[in-house]
Amino acid sequence: MSGAIPFTRRQWRSLDEIAGDADFLARAAQEFPALAEGLARPESRRRVLKLMAASLALAGLGGCDPGSPAGKLVPAVVAPPDIVAALPNFYAGADLATGYADGIIVEQVMGRPIKVEGNPNHPASLGATSIHGQATILDFYDPDRAAGISRPGPAGTRQPADLQDLLLALSLERARFADRHGAGLRILTGSVASPTLATQLDALLRQYPQAQWHQWDAISRDRARAGAMLAYGRAVETVPHPDAADVILAIDSDLLGGAPGHLRLAREFASRRNPARTRAMSRVYAVEPTPTLIGTAADHRFVAGPAALHAVMAGLAAGILRNETPSDGPPWLGPVIADLRAAHGRALVHVGPDQPAETHALAHALNEALGGRGSTVTVIEPVLHDAVEQAASLRTLVEDMQAGRVDALIILDGNPVFAGPADFAHGLARVRFSLAMTPMPDETGQAVTWSVPRTHPFETWSDARAFDGTATIIQPQALPLYGGLSPHEILALLAGPQPASPRDLVRQTWQPAMSGDFEQAWHDALAGGVVPNTAAARAADTLRPQAAQVMPPTPPAAVALLFRPDPNLLDGRYANNAWLQELPRPLTKLVWDNPLLIPPALAAQHQLVNGDVARLSAAGVHVEAPVWIAPGQAAECVVALLGYGRRIVGTVGAGTGFDFFPLRDAGPPGTLIIEKTGRHAALASTDHHNVLAADAGPRDIVRHGALADYLKDPRFLQERQPVETLYQSRPKLSAQAWGMSIDLNSCIGCNACVVACMAENNVPVVGKQQVLAEREMHWLRIDRYYEGPAEAPDSFFQPMLCMHCEEAPCETVCPVGATVHDHEGLNVQIYNRCIGTRFCSNNCPYKVRRFNFFAFAGEEHRPPISRNPDVTVRARGVMEKCTFCLQRIAEARIAADRDNRPIRDGEVVTACQAACPTRAFAFGNINDSASEVAKRKQSPLDYGLLTEEATHPRVSYEARIRNRNPGIAG
Amino acid sequence: MQPVVDPQETAGSMTDRVCAIALRERAFLWWWLLMIPSAALSGLLVAAVFWLFYAGVGIWGIDWPVMWGLAILNYVWWIGIASGGTFISAMFFLVRVEWRTSINRIAESMTLFAAACAGIYPILHLGRPWFFYWLFPYPNTMTLWPQFRSPLFWDFCAIFAYVLSSILFWYLGAMPDMASMRDRATRRGQQIFYGVLAMGFRGTAREWRDFRAAYAVLAAIMAPMVCSVHSIVGLDFAGAQTTGWHSTEFPPFFVFGAVLSGFGMVLFLILPLRRLLRLESFITARHMEVLARLLLTSSLCLAYAYIMDAFNAFYTGDVSERIFFHDRISGVYAGVYWWTLFLNIVVPQLLWWRRLRLNQPLVWLVGLAVIVGMWLERYGIVVVSLHRTKLPSAWGNYAASFWDWATLAGTVGLFFTGMLLVVRLVPILSMFEMRELLANARRQG
Repeated sequence: MSGAIPFTRRQWRSLDEIAGDADFLARAAQEFPALAEGLARPESRRRVLKLMAASLALAGLGGCDPGSPAGKLVPAVVAPPDIVAALPNFYAGADLATGYADGIIVEQVMGRPIKVEGNPNHPASLGATSIHGQATILDFYDPDRAAGISRPGPAGTRQPADLQDLLLALSLERARFADRHGAGLRILTGSVASPTLATQLDALLRQYPQAQWHQWDAISRDRARAGAMLAYGRAVETVPHPDAADVILAIDSDLLGGAPGHLRLAREFASRRNPARTRAMSRVYAVEPTPTLIGTAADHRFVAGPAALHAVMAGLAAGILRNETPSDGPPWLGPVIADLRAAHGRALVHVGPDQPAETHALAHALNEALGGRGSTVTVIEPVLHDAVEQAASLRTLVEDMQAGRVDALIILDGNPVFAGPADFAHGLARVRFSLAMTPMPDETGQAVTWSVPRTHPFETWSDARAFDGTATIIQPQALPLYGGLSPHEILALLAGPQPASPRDLVRQTWQPAMSGDFEQAWHDALAGGVVPNTAAARAADTLRPQAAQVMPPTPPAAVALLFRPDPNLLDGRYANNAWLQELPRPLTKLVWDNPLLIPPALAAQHQLVNGDVARLSAAGVHVEAPVWIAPGQAAECVVALLGYGRRIVGTVGAGTGFDFFPLRDAGPPGTLIIEKTGRHAALASTDHHNVLAADAGPRDIVRHGALADYLKDPRFLQERQPVETLYQSRPKLSAQAWGMSIDLNSCIGCNACVVACMAENNVPVVGKQQVLAEREMHWLRIDRYYEGPAEAPDSFFQPMLCMHCEEAPCETVCPVGATVHDHEGLNVQIYNRCIGTRFCSNNCPYKVRRFNFFAFAGEEHRPPISRNPDVTVRARGVMEKCTFCLQRIAEARIAADRDNRPIRDGEVVTACQAACPTRAFAFGNINDSASEVAKRKQSPLDYGLLTEEATHPRVSYEARIRNRNPGIAG
Repeated sequence: MQPVVDPQETAGSMTDRVCAIALRERAFLWWWLLMIPSAALSGLLVAAVFWLFYAGVGIWGIDWPVMWGLAILNYVWWIGIASGGTFISAMFFLVRVEWRTSINRIAESMTLFAAACAGIYPILHLGRPWFFYWLFPYPNTMTLWPQFRSPLFWDFCAIFAYVLSSILFWYLGAMPDMASMRDRATRRGQQIFYGVLAMGFRGTAREWRDFRAAYAVLAAIMAPMVCSVHSIVGLDFAGAQTTGWHSTEFPPFFVFGAVLSGFGMVLFLILPLRRLLRLESFITARHMEVLARLLLTSSLCLAYAYIMDAFNAFYTGDVSERIFFHDRISGVYAGVYWWTLFLNIVVPQLLWWRRLRLNQPLVWLVGLAVIVGMWLERYGIVVVSLHRTKLPSAWGNYAASFWDWATLAGTVGLFFTGMLLVVRLVPILSMFEMRELLANARRQG
């Protein structure tokens, strides 16, 4: 991707403006023979009229159907406007993984979405993407989405149904709803961040006053909402500003991963973390039961289980809100409180969604007391539409279903049969008419009377608000690949026979809001990816005095079972995404699985080793799952990652992992019993050795030190004496010399770069068995090192990719010259020349080369059109590795050559660099002293890895500095 | 000193005995008992190779980071075994050692088939084996030469030259005997078979003069080649920067190891063969004695190399070398290291005692021990080095798969199939040299 995004290009136009088409009725009759048949019989007149209305409603869909018999199929002899072969087009959109919008830009080649980039205009993205944003491309092309509408068949099977049948059924339902004023109609959605969907829901509830709307997300932020209710009396939302904070206290926090707007928060966080380049370094404390990204990035990480956390909250309340000396609590609490108080107005307390509401309320009170409101944290008007307490909302629905009070249930989002309580399915069976929109066949789709494929967000019009309220209009990136309907369409069909198309619905939502020339404003909003001035207003609510008085309930002393969403699969909706399945979890490096995470002490107590199958009993529910020892987890905590163990899922996700939702939904666990079964399961981790090996520490590999030492001598981590070498002559740098610098202070281990690399470079997925055989293919990996005791180790991340050594060991050993240097200093791999001796990999000190032991690319579960056409798909038997995104360099070089100028700094952005939320990567010409990368390489923290090998790597790192509090030992 | 051959034997009796073995109408029963499993294993090799070409090298246990596994290990092992024959046959020919004559045909045949087994591995191990010829420096449409700096290219040249020279040396050395066989054969088929192989050698003075000159030249080429081939095999590893490989001692270290396994294999073969073929009067206690001493000597040389290897791990001051060495002696593969030391260094020390040197079953077992020990040594070099590389994040393990073992078993089958065919078809002693030896012995006696 080169330089600025060409926003000025013409944007997507709707294809669905044929409702007024004169010959539409004739075509509808042709398409729906039942129509013509029905017209002949007067007794079915009513049915026919409904059918016609429905057909009209689906006019847009008809137009979108590439297989429409009335459509003309003409090969594009004349290219469509704005599509130039080999040149990409970019269209803005949004990724909705967190429930809020993260702005994205979809790169298209010849009309096919190929790659997702962040939208620099969007406040939640700032140009970065999350792993889910990157991986959504693979979901879009997933062949398992092809299943159409289905109804229950005999003996638990499903049988396909026509759109026509569905429309007919909906028209009958509509009449019934109208007659009964919506009594018995229930609509289930997740949190609603889409203004258009909100408008539709409101209108529908007005139309059918007795209908009810339920909201439920499998992974909810209920407690944060309840905390806001406690603190402010209203479900206001808060936006933290880590860049404004000198001292951050993160309590079991998801600030850097999972929180709404986490991409932006990570950027702001990193803007205070490198003493050599950024503003004065912040000091970050993390208190948490199980390692998180911010805990890993923190200067001090304190392990605290529920009981210890309770004591910490009590201590914080006493020390900060009541000005007392905390009576008990850990020894570090005093210095932390002092530090927070000293940074009045520049301190931030952040609490993660798994902590009780009272803790959230206390955090609000603490932030207010520390003067953070308005500087380190902003309280804003609610972004989500009519957020409710979701657990209660679902409970009501389940009870009503079981009591027979639900006549029709429309599930627009979510997979409650899988992730909801066990009695949801029982209740659902009693509902006469149930309709679920499913992205692909899933457990809920299997249990309803109508399962309707939901279009991918790339396939329909919609809109969504970001964590700060800023709205994005989501435009379709392509025609629906496998058919499907959007939630807007289903809601519209519930409302009336002649609904507007989703595009018109979205336009109707925004027409009043956009002043002046609507068409121009609409165009600008689509092109820029944000609707200007839509951020939520600051809330004026004042803190309720009782907020400072609340105290979370005392947790039981027994071993606690904590539930966390799997960082990659979330609630299970990405279970069929092979990139996310094979993306190593940040700390455990596990792939394709979710074993129970147990602390080292508990493992020793039960004599469990990684992979031993344990039987977990809580609240009368038993789950058998293998365990994995998680260094740095509180001794009294067992962590179960949710989202795995899907029973009905596509080809990729089938048979992976274990489902812990039954344990969670069984209620409070009471006493947790862990027993060893004596069986063993193979677990695939890309960390192929015993993580606790004493000599596996970072040594000289991840250089790190304390801020105090840095301030005394910024170059304190440099080699004291240069490496002596026999070889004095180093080749001179060419005018254009590519190089990279990676800031270990910025890297939070979020993995966005890894998925971006896979997407950009057609890196194949190999599957669990091949990962077990140690054959994963990631060109870019994030190495994780531990230092210190397993109970509370320091963790370090280090992105590892081809170093493009100037004296590359791989090049001299290849007997056929398949890996050579190019004139700009790139170490290039010539796939056609490679015969697969694998000597290059043996000789690579960094082990960044990957070998196609089998035809991995050919065995992938994805259509060929989903691949990046600019990157060769590698054959069996050849070596491959990071190319510094050679195709992007080539694109920039061609553009520069055309204009007869050198390539500008920043014109080439590698895929990893583009995705990185914290801007940890800098890439460019190291022979241009004005370039970003050259400047970063001048940093006193800059160091090369394994330079004693005389490889002269072009990738260098900035050593990690930690701002330790001198008042805290250890 | 014991005599090299039984003084009772004459040139005539020797020739009769040796020719009779090959010219027998029916093979011995023991020959069939050995040939059937050997041929079956060769069949397994064919199956393993077909499956390999069809499915790819992923069927083996190699992985990231242990990119080389049993294939390279077996290659080094076989090429090491091959050295024994060349060493005995060429080196001791040049220094005119008389005991060489009774065993040089067996030793050279061993070299031939061991080198053949070794030679197929570098091709099988390629990710895309159908492009193996890209290693040849030949003019091509891509206008590309091989990469002359790569040890794998040196290795290719060394092995190619070695296999070719071994075949020539073996064949040239057998030519006069083929002529004897032709002359003694009574059946038409045998006459044609040996006649073709003898290439018209009639034993004229001029033929003998040219023959001796050619043979001496080949021997003079072969003798240093033993050292160069194994030095270059050592450079395949030492030429890399990999932990555990990057060591200047590797070339002589590999030569020591190679000749040790070569002598081991020669002992392993001649002890049963002299019994089965009733050649006790030609392959005598003297041979056992000499070979056992050579084995002991090479074992001591190897011990020195092992000591230097351990010393270097600390002397270099490289942390990863130290970690690697620590892992090697105490990690998951520690057994490999300790068994290597035991089999290659400790067991051969038995041969200090003359009584034990003359104990045939014991010497045979010592030969087997060093063959196994040398295989383990290469496991330590190839696999154990790669599994603990410089970056701890890239540490991994290796386990050979069924197809790895099948390929190894298959080459063992191929080797014995070849040896048994030689025993059946080719005069197993170098008759023309034995005649000279016996004539000399008679003159001196």
